[in-house]
Amino acid sequence: MTKKEIFFNATFKDNSIWRQILGICSALAVTNLMLNSLIMGLGVIFTLAMANMTISLIRNWTPRSVRMMLQVLIIASYVIIVDIFLKANMPQISKQLGPYVGLIITNCILMGRAEAFASKNKVLDSLIDGIGTGIGYTLVLLLISLVRELFGFGSVFGFRVFGDWWTDWSIMVMAPSAFFILAMLIWIVNTYYYKVKA
Amino acid sequence: MKDSFLYPIIFMLIMVVLFSGILAVTYRFSEAKIQDYQTDSYQKMILSTLATKIAEITQQNPQDIMAAYPKSFEQYIYQLNPQGFEREVYQAVVDEEVVAYSFEIKGKGLWGTMRALVSTTPDFRTILDFNIVSQQETPGLGARIEEEWFLSQFRDRIFVVNPESEDDVTQSYEFISEAQTPENDRQLKRVTGATITSDSVIKMLRAEFNYIYSYVRSNEL
Repeated sequence: MTKKEIFFNATFKDNSIWRQILGICSALAVTNLMLNSLIMGLGVIFTLAMANMTISLIRNWTPRSVRMMLQVLIIASYVIIVDIFLKANMPQISKQLGPYVGLIITNCILMGRAEAFASKNKVLDSLIDGIGTGIGYTLVLLLISLVRELFGFGSVFGFRVFGDWWTDWSIMVMAPSAFFILAMLIWIVNTYYYKVKA
Repeated sequence: MKDSFLYPIIFMLIMVVLFSGILAVTYRFSEAKIQDYQTDSYQKMILSTLATKIAEITQQNPQDIMAAYPKSFEQYIYQLNPQGFEREVYQAVVDEEVVAYSFEIKGKGLWGTMRALVSTTPDFRTILDFNIVSQQETPGLGARIEEEWFLSQFRDRIFVVNPESEDDVTQSYEFISEAQTPENDRQLKRVTGATITSDSVIKMLRAEFNYIYSYVRSNEL
């Protein structure tokens, strides 16, 4: 596979959310505001890329029996480094992120890519796969949050789009809306992108 | 060699030491910066809860008082350490007269402890300002208690209506939905989708005002 194919497979064809149905918990939890989704997405892109790269770098010395413990150790370490860096250098963004940094550790996409790709492939390929997977995840989060924030708050990235005539849909702010928007997104992608027939 | 008994143990030990070391070094280099920022932002928050009152008496603009931090903090704010009082408390003093108090209060939210700063008039009856220091509520739902529209509902509100009561000195409140307009001063707007968190804020305020009153009834701050 070429580098371009690795990237596009990770981002679109094998998208972690709509194709592999991974990372659903965070996709449901953080998508009622677009800014939250973007911040979460950036954190995941960085951690995925760095964790994939490191796991690939030491793959030839890693014993099979401890590989998953090691993957968790590496992922958690990068997430904590991101947290410390933000607290020290970008305190306002760190405050916005709040508990999201911790949520990144529990995101099953990271373990999934570490096990399925990084532990078997070269360093550069793993880095590209990490970035592509992270971007694919972020795009889906932004799509869901666009619908939820627009109808739930009448705004996009905090900027008011609808006027005072608009009545916010409370259901869009709450978790159930993420379930049915995600289900509709998967249905649209299956029908028009993968051409899956009923 | 990778299949031997000792190799995985030694390998894992090396990795744990390596990554713990990286984390320790990263934290060590950032520790001072993080603590400075936390101290500054906490002191600024204390000052902001008292700035309006100080500005009113000194005939200044509250923004000018905030802009003059840390000088204005040193000039007007004093920390008190009353014996047996288990909360942090600060007083704003202008011309040797106490014009307001600011208390750090705590309460249980949906997912964890909430910390807030509440400033009051010297008789501890009216809330001058209210701000959340930290909370662990659901992002986008309960965490919206930090939004200005929610916090501003508590400003200039007479919160203590029965100062002599030993059971409950506070006013009771009724929550209405975010889209509604309060019809009287006993109605407050709750955060949509965060009923428990909204209730927790009121519970925290009521419990803490009762605690403050139980102390000041027999002691001086």
